[in-house]
Amino acid sequence: MTEAGSAPQRLHVLTVIMRFVKRAPSTLVVPPLVLGFAGREFHPVLAFGTFAAIAAAVIVTTWLGWWTFTYTIGEEEVLIQHGLVQRSRRSIPRGRIQDVSIERSPFARIFGLALVRIETGGGKAEEAELDSVSLAEAERLRALLRAYRPAASERADETSPAEPERRTVYAMSLGRVLLRGVFGFSMLWLAAIYGAIHSIDRVVEFDWEKWFGEAERVALAQFSLLALLLVLAIALLLGVLAGIVRTLLRDYGFMLSHEPGRFRRVRGLLTRSEVVIADRRIQLGLVHRGAISGRLGWNTVAVQTLGGSDDPSGRQELAPFATAAEAAEVVAATPLPPFERIGLRPVASAHILRSAIRHGLPVALVFGIAGWFLPPLWWGLLLVPVPVIIALFQRSFHRYALRDTSLQVMRGVLSQRDWTVPFESIQTLTVQQSWLQRRLGVATVVVDTAGASGLHRPNVTDAPLDAALALTQALAARVD
Amino acid sequence: MTLAIVPLTPLERGQLHVIRLRAIRNALVVLAAAVVAEIFVPDLPMRGLILAPALLLALWIAVFAPGRSWRRWGYAFTGSELHVEYGLFTRVHTIVPVLRVQHIDVAQDVLERLFGVARLIVHTAGSENNFVVLPGISRDTAEGIRDAIRERIGSAGHD
Repeated sequence: MTEAGSAPQRLHVLTVIMRFVKRAPSTLVVPPLVLGFAGREFHPVLAFGTFAAIAAAVIVTTWLGWWTFTYTIGEEEVLIQHGLVQRSRRSIPRGRIQDVSIERSPFARIFGLALVRIETGGGKAEEAELDSVSLAEAERLRALLRAYRPAASERADETSPAEPERRTVYAMSLGRVLLRGVFGFSMLWLAAIYGAIHSIDRVVEFDWEKWFGEAERVALAQFSLLALLLVLAIALLLGVLAGIVRTLLRDYGFMLSHEPGRFRRVRGLLTRSEVVIADRRIQLGLVHRGAISGRLGWNTVAVQTLGGSDDPSGRQELAPFATAAEAAEVVAATPLPPFERIGLRPVASAHILRSAIRHGLPVALVFGIAGWFLPPLWWGLLLVPVPVIIALFQRSFHRYALRDTSLQVMRGVLSQRDWTVPFESIQTLTVQQSWLQRRLGVATVVVDTAGASGLHRPNVTDAPLDAALALTQALAARVD
Repeated sequence: MTLAIVPLTPLERGQLHVIRLRAIRNALVVLAAAVVAEIFVPDLPMRGLILAPALLLALWIAVFAPGRSWRRWGYAFTGSELHVEYGLFTRVHTIVPVLRVQHIDVAQDVLERLFGVARLIVHTAGSENNFVVLPGISRDTAEGIRDAIRERIGSAGHD
């Protein structure tokens, strides 16, 4: 089935129209309107002339971009070329292709197209995107690229349309998606909406100053706790709604299935994304329980994979909102060992002091300094004991153990994380001691893995020095 | 004050000179910035309010810090692991298992060549320790380690 030495192919021609439509709002609508309205009078000639000129330029450049982009599936490599003046070639050896995933944005679905993403182990810089080809071509490419086997393998080379032994490991009902949305509160969307209002302001002449200036003066004159609470309540409500909508768009119809050697995850309402996660790409496993959702028994199972991912956290979510039983089932389907809660050692009690400082000091500083400008904010200092009290529990909630094939670390009082790091995923080990840690006789063991991102790591923080050194040496010895 | 995992070898003396020269350059930059600030910032309560601490800082950077920093470095190559330790306020000891090394470079910039030291740069697949730098060893030592690691990786087969 390998088409050796096939000719260079172009993307689907409808891509030109799709890109043109995508670019339309920013290039075809706003600039002509802005120029047309310059000087508060509408100049039809200027507006229409700008529109025509820009439209022509966009069509030509989009078509050129399409014309000069070619991809070739060779016997040993995938060759991608683009560029008119400066021709750029990227050659991806087929043996290095880890996965091929297919994404369909709402536009793409209207046109019957799909975006093919070729993922290698090298991270974002070494991926290739075919934006867009027809759906049939996308599936053909995926089957073709997956069928490459550099050495003899047990599996037959024929790819049958129905993958054998695929079973659904985890799926989200609509109710589950909505429930997750409630917990997916996001203030970021409020910022985005505010930003959108601001940019519309440039085009439409509306005297925001007059209206909001009034409101501002009124607000400052009647600065009351009630008003503040009301504003906060509205913001909260909007945030929750934004969270629900965002989760619905992203996770509708979530389904995780497993077939020998890989997971397949499908999700999305408007943009239907289908991602394949090869078992051997999995570097470590993470089970996360949120501060509130965790108390109610909800877990998120995620894995860190070679080559990064599109998930906002940088890790692939296998089960974003699962009960403990469902989470255990998902983990059982991965090559990772299950997380055992017994036999874990806690770190040193110095961790309490350092956690208290790390979480309490910023709060104290923020409210202390802000209080100089707005005395009511001195009351914020009452919040300082909260992180300090939480810090008291940090020690018993931060534990680790060396298992047969992996290092397991748990961490977190409110937001809890259970890490499982197989020994072969450990790339380097670092023992760190800050000035304070030296005085307290503790150290941090930093475990570095491939494809890590975000703020959290499976590090063991503030273990007693001899335990840290012993752990590091034991881990280093297991690297084989 | 090492983290006592393996006995560590200190860096070459040449590296001390390299660090010193770089530190002098940094100190001069700090002084220049302080002088500019002194001249252009209006109404300072006292003459030399910016210049005095800047002078102290520059003195510390150029005179006291290099020696301390150089003494805190140490390395060891056990054949199966490369250990690199450094750090003045925060001690950091990094262990790179030879089998995890993706590739290795030996580099020398002008200053380092002048004093006969080289840098060994070990690339891994890690995210934070994507590359681990061991500065201030002689070129022969660096190439020796590089060849030993390459041999070890080669015999273990490629990933």
